[in-house]
Amino acid sequence: MSFRLYRERVDTLKEAVLGRFRHRKSYDDFWALRNVSFDVRPGESVGLIGHNGSGKSTLLKIAAGVLKPTEGRARVDGRISPMIELAAGFDPDLTGRDNIFLNGALMGHSRKEMAGKLDRIIEFSELGEFIDQPVKNYSSGMYARLGFAIAADVDPEILIIDEVLAVGDERFQAKCMERIRSIRQGGCTIFYVSHSMNQVVELCDRVIVLHHGQLAFDGAPEPAIARYRELQHFQPPPATQARMA
Amino acid sequence: MTALVRPFGELWKFRELISLLVTRDLKVRYKRSVLGMGWTLLNPLLQMVVYTLVFKTIMRVDVPQFPVFLLAGLLPWTLISASLTGAAHCLLNNQGLIRKVAVPQMVYPLAVVASKLVDLVLSLVPLAIIAALLGRPPGLSWLGLAPSLVLVTLFSSGLALLFSSLTVFYRDMRHLIDILIQVWFYVTPVIYPASYLEKLPYPALRWILSANPATPIVRCFQASLYEGRLPGASLLGLAALATVVVLGFGVLVFTSREAQHIHHF
Repeated sequence: MSFRLYRERVDTLKEAVLGRFRHRKSYDDFWALRNVSFDVRPGESVGLIGHNGSGKSTLLKIAAGVLKPTEGRARVDGRISPMIELAAGFDPDLTGRDNIFLNGALMGHSRKEMAGKLDRIIEFSELGEFIDQPVKNYSSGMYARLGFAIAADVDPEILIIDEVLAVGDERFQAKCMERIRSIRQGGCTIFYVSHSMNQVVELCDRVIVLHHGQLAFDGAPEPAIARYRELQHFQPPPATQARMA
Repeated sequence: MTALVRPFGELWKFRELISLLVTRDLKVRYKRSVLGMGWTLLNPLLQMVVYTLVFKTIMRVDVPQFPVFLLAGLLPWTLISASLTGAAHCLLNNQGLIRKVAVPQMVYPLAVVASKLVDLVLSLVPLAIIAALLGRPPGLSWLGLAPSLVLVTLFSSGLALLFSSLTVFYRDMRHLIDILIQVWFYVTPVIYPASYLEKLPYPALRWILSANPATPIVRCFQASLYEGRLPGASLLGLAALATVVVLGFGVLVFTSREAQHIHHF
């Protein structure tokens, strides 16, 4: 996937017309992802790790269909959740309840289907009476709760889960992990993007490491994490390791 | 041909999304305004008062029951122009969604048109009342509304698709659209009858203005709502031709550039 990084944005007619005469390339090509090839079998649960800017989101955007690859191709068999983030489809001015329907529709589910899931989603999110408040008044934890509750209930065949679990409180995180485990047992393919190595180890059978847009490692979780840290020249301080273990 | 038809199959899956986007628009638009939906009804009525004062009373345009004539043309015109202005911003306003959720991007401009269509349909109520008060009560000719509404909606959709896409690449479009709408309004027979154009003494100008694709569409409404007759086959044919051309062009431009939008936000 290549992006054009414009030195000066050419978004006016004048620039577009004059640019034609000047024959000057006004952008640099930047490859956010290149030579990244892999297959995922149905039911696999794949972790995606890498430094900030390594191309994780770009990869998810291509998988979900938000971006078309510049070269190469991405083939997805099965219903993939089209959102690259759990709360991506929220409209801040609408209430939690309205957003459940909006998100459902963005994922291609009918109003009727969503009405059937409504009570379960509200219950799982534990938002109670706040469900009828505009979501702009929600805390980031509440946002994440609703986002996860919706995504977990629309049963896609391929599920994308991002960093959302980081903002929920401990108890809710545990509840989400429980839910993800049961979704996984149901045969759903999962893409899990996280900077929390513990959760990656816990949830994934396989981990892909991206480093500056290249595929650096593809295999079992422990060696993947070791490779990721080696590439970053980083070892977590022992105190953190002890506390998290 | 498949390039024109395929996007619509995709869209059908997302029809509920369009209706939710429309509800969202209406909810956000009328939140915390005292009159709420009342503004939708009041807006064309206030315009009617102003235009009647200027063109009937001051400039003496020779049209009996001028307010009815004016509203009959103004309502479809407003759908066309409001779709254009709304569409110019809609992809930019929804870029948060477009960057993160893969749905056919056509839903955004089409939701704009649908939401303005709701306004148009609501405004037919005060129009019917005014028409009845001025002695032109709604009759069978109002049946002509059905094809006219379909045509004006598809026509506006074509424009919305075309200009929403162009605006992403060229931000100047927003300003250009404002000017385009003003000029287009005055060359479309809304504040004066179409016969004025046919009687123009300059053949070249007459010829240019007769190519205005909005004219047959607005005339369909004027026939049904003001003249009290069903729009004739030739008028409907012209309006359908204009619609097919504009819609086809809009769909082609939009779908061929859809994947590039995200790189230009």
